[in-house]
Amino acid sequence: MVIVLNKNGFKLPRMDKDKFVNLMRLGLEYNRDIALFSIKSCNNIEKIMEAVSAILGSEVVFLQSCIRCGKDFQCNGCSYVELCTTKNLPFSCVCPRCLSDKKHFEEASLNLG
Amino acid sequence: MLRNEILWVEKYRPKKIQDIIGNEEAKATFAEWLQNKHHNKKAVLLYGPPGVGKTALVNASAKEYDFTIIEMNASDTRSEKAVNAVAKPATSYKALDNFSGTTKTRGNMLFLDEVDGIAGNQDRGGVSAIIKIVEESLVPVIMAANDPDISKLRPLKKVCLLVRFQQVRIPLIIALLQKICLLEHVKAEFEALERIAKNSRGDVRSAINDLQSLSEQNHTLTLQDTMMLRSRNKALSMDETLRGFFTAESIGEASRLLSYSNVNYDDFLLSVSDNLPKRYIDPNELAKAYNLVSQADVFRGRIGTENWHLLKYFYNELAKAASVNNVSYKPFEFISPPIRIITLFWTKGKRTMLNNICLKIGAQCHVSKETAKNDFIPFIKVILQKKKSSGLVDWLKFTQEEVDFLAKMSRF
Repeated sequence: MVIVLNKNGFKLPRMDKDKFVNLMRLGLEYNRDIALFSIKSCNNIEKIMEAVSAILGSEVVFLQSCIRCGKDFQCNGCSYVELCTTKNLPFSCVCPRCLSDKKHFEEASLNLG
Repeated sequence: MLRNEILWVEKYRPKKIQDIIGNEEAKATFAEWLQNKHHNKKAVLLYGPPGVGKTALVNASAKEYDFTIIEMNASDTRSEKAVNAVAKPATSYKALDNFSGTTKTRGNMLFLDEVDGIAGNQDRGGVSAIIKIVEESLVPVIMAANDPDISKLRPLKKVCLLVRFQQVRIPLIIALLQKICLLEHVKAEFEALERIAKNSRGDVRSAINDLQSLSEQNHTLTLQDTMMLRSRNKALSMDETLRGFFTAESIGEASRLLSYSNVNYDDFLLSVSDNLPKRYIDPNELAKAYNLVSQADVFRGRIGTENWHLLKYFYNELAKAASVNNVSYKPFEFISPPIRIITLFWTKGKRTMLNNICLKIGAQCHVSKETAKNDFIPFIKVILQKKKSSGLVDWLKFTQEEVDFLAKMSRF
């Protein structure tokens, strides 16, 4: 099973102190008021994914945010996922829908001709 | 020849932070730091692969936040003296304009690009001088590096806020290329842009250069046009390099393959040497190939750490060794990594144990490790083989494991 997380806020089950401290060191932060974890630093993002996967006991993937439409989407629909060195990591990208929407690009190109 | 003289990488260099594509989190962290939201760190180290926007981010943010950049890059000498001469004055005072309110500028920003390239005698004392400057600086100090894990940068990392840059994703590069095509009036096929983006391996700069070189003449770009693109930064593994090397049909092909590969030259030389007997069955061919490898080794020695202009001769001699007889090739299983490295790996535990024993003997007998190994251990070994629990064991403070190791040791 794959668990999909939102980088801006996600819940984790209660864990022991060492695991919590490790997550904080790796670059997560915890908001007590809303009881949600979020990513503060992406320097150790691969290790964060591993630690969160170990806590949840399942593979985790993060949602991507599209720079064009602003919507969140998953990497599994992308045709470049095999070549991507940052797949499933919580970064910005262009969603397959916006990228395949050649309308804007082609219209402008045709006008040039 | 390019039609107009301006390179598109320069023409479309980001003017604002938001113009830089990808690495949103890194950009946000850096902008926060620049606005003094990270008071505990006086310097920032931007690190990541080339062409992902590290230098562009510094330039764009300097424009956006009205800083004057004082830059030192890999083309400058960065010894202690040189760093102090340039960076100290730039960082030790704030601009007077700042206080008068007559200009918008917020003062200097020191930018040290490619700090991982500070090396050798030429840049002696450079890193420690930079650390001192960071500690005393009154202005933001920014550094950029491709590889932050090299040992000489460890002290620098302690005083810096680290910001990691990732390869720019293919869809983002395609989106940027589409935008440039529109602005440059280039009619481009989507598949052609896709191929350029894939080929760039996350390097935006190279993608823009490829787009310009392929489309500037005709203002059109088809997938067919991109077929001549050579793969960039193709990181061939040792296995792939060896396979390509031994199956090469000409010296030129073998030589070209070596120039693409990123394997360590010394490891590759050892691997070729180990695999030659499998490649050439005929003794005369094998002798000829080994002779060429030995000549390559001579060139490797002459290259050392600085004479890189000799690298082509190293490649050439190795390539000749791969093509002594192209007809006799039969597929075989490669030995990789080199036997010497495998042996060193397997014997590491034994060597560490022997080293500890020599240290104990050296401490008790006031001799060097080498003397302990050559002059003492052969006798101690004979003594222990006869009687394991002698007074000697207690005096030299050997553990039971060390006694067993010495007694069973066949050679050293």
